Amino acid sequence: MTTRPTWQRLHAQPALLPRYLLRERIIRAIREFFYAQDFHEVETPLLVPVPSMEPYLEVFETEFEDVRGGRQRAFLTNSPEYAMKRLLVAGLPRIFQICKAFRNREDTGRRRNPEFTILEWYRAHADYQAIMADCEALVAHLYHATLPAGGAPPPPGAPLLLRYQGIEVDLTPPWERLRVREALAQYAGLAIDSVWDRPALAAEMARRGYTPGDSPWDELLTQLFANEVEPHLGRRRPTILYEYPLPMAGLARRARDPRYAERFEFYIAGLELGNAFSELADPDEQAARLQADQAARRRLGKKEYPVDADFLAALRTGMPPAGGIAVGVDRLIMLFADVASIHDTLWMPGRELFGPATGEEL
Amino acid sequence: MARISADQFKRGLTVVFNDQPHQMTDVEFVNPGKGSSFYRTTLKNLKTGRVVDFTFKSNESLEDYEVYTHEMQYLYNDGTDYHFMRQDTMDQHAVPREVLGRAADFLVDGDVYQIVMHGDEALGIRPPKRVVLTVTSADPVVKGSTVSGVSKQVVLDNGVAVAVPGFIKEGDKVAVNPENGEYIERV
Repeated sequence: MTTRPTWQRLHAQPALLPRYLLRERIIRAIREFFYAQDFHEVETPLLVPVPSMEPYLEVFETEFEDVRGGRQRAFLTNSPEYAMKRLLVAGLPRIFQICKAFRNREDTGRRRNPEFTILEWYRAHADYQAIMADCEALVAHLYHATLPAGGAPPPPGAPLLLRYQGIEVDLTPPWERLRVREALAQYAGLAIDSVWDRPALAAEMARRGYTPGDSPWDELLTQLFANEVEPHLGRRRPTILYEYPLPMAGLARRARDPRYAERFEFYIAGLELGNAFSELADPDEQAARLQADQAARRRLGKKEYPVDADFLAALRTGMPPAGGIAVGVDRLIMLFADVASIHDTLWMPGRELFGPATGEEL
Repeated sequence: MARISADQFKRGLTVVFNDQPHQMTDVEFVNPGKGSSFYRTTLKNLKTGRVVDFTFKSNESLEDYEVYTHEMQYLYNDGTDYHFMRQDTMDQHAVPREVLGRAADFLVDGDVYQIVMHGDEALGIRPPKRVVLTVTSADPVVKGSTVSGVSKQVVLDNGVAVAVPGFIKEGDKVAVNPENGEYIERV
């Protein structure tokens, strides 16, 4: 099935324009929000010699040619994280960036596009609690910034009610804060302390009708979580889900209880919008994790590339303790536009440019 | 039975899930954290129409539910079932209304349709994108209604009532989407 390009639909139906222009309003409001809090906006490269080491994400590779014809590998970034952390080391304590991130071999599902807009911010000398408060305040600010033009503003103290895909959510801070352990008990009836070892969890999953196979512990728990817990999150109020079991938190610092890490995600009306950590600053631990991820890429047949030595050098120089987060800007736009698909927020969705996936039946 | 591994999941697949035939209507690859990847799918039960979401691990698979699309000529409706004849084998099949949905109202005797089958069991119809019908009864034209915007009910020559813009009058030919019975345009 071919659909008409977005520009043709807009030409025929100008009434659709305000929905697409929400992108401009939201990006402008994000900048206002951070400028008002003395953040610096930074711009780090989209074309890099080494991308982030994510075991499961495929990257776009190209080639850099210098003026004399010398060639080297070059990649489109899949995350600005390593670059922004170097700027924390350089001496910028509060930074944000709105940029594109690229992922190859992605499907063209409702929430996916080969390039997407990412918002990242970092606060030095702060932990993930400060980032949680930022999220609450930012989303409240965006709520006011995206109210229909010309309408009366809501009276002070009125709930910030947003309807997304038939779900009504009150965005007023403070949001619900739920530990992963509490969410599992509340929605899946699972006591995590009874399944810390893999055989116990696999047996419990099998009892619930799953097929555990040879999957490791974190994969099993994530699957149970995705099916039994996630659908309940952020339904009436946004949910901040925090304190992840250590195996589920790649770049996070350990929590006081060493079985957990200081990671959180936040959910609004079923959409997962951001992923935050108290950032790992230990260069040796970071190097070990990068090498493990590199080995995983090799095992999975993904493109191989070196560990980012300059990033590790920056951590050795000394990164201040920091909290940071990546938020999907396209998803924020979906939320405020009340559309189920990312393709309804993009001026030119990737699948209009490149077509649907090979062999995809519609 | 052939199995389909998670990395082959795509929209449109028909699979067995919880012992029931389902069609995959959406699939999304997700990697929520360190060292794991998942396929978040939406599955529609082909018998009940019920829709469920389920997230699979990357090392899982589903049994393929084999379906074939056959060219079948519509013969008649016996009051309960709709009878079709396969064009290649001349076998006749009775198809219940639930399988055809709204498209049942728009079948034309003698026309050939694409019917989706599993063995001898009909699972669905791939109706044409549009059918053209004649308006047999309509209220008078509403004055000044020249733009589209659905505003009145008319009856078509197959006996079905549809909502159309005010300017449509008796004797007009209109195109309708047989899948949902919605007016498309005046022909």
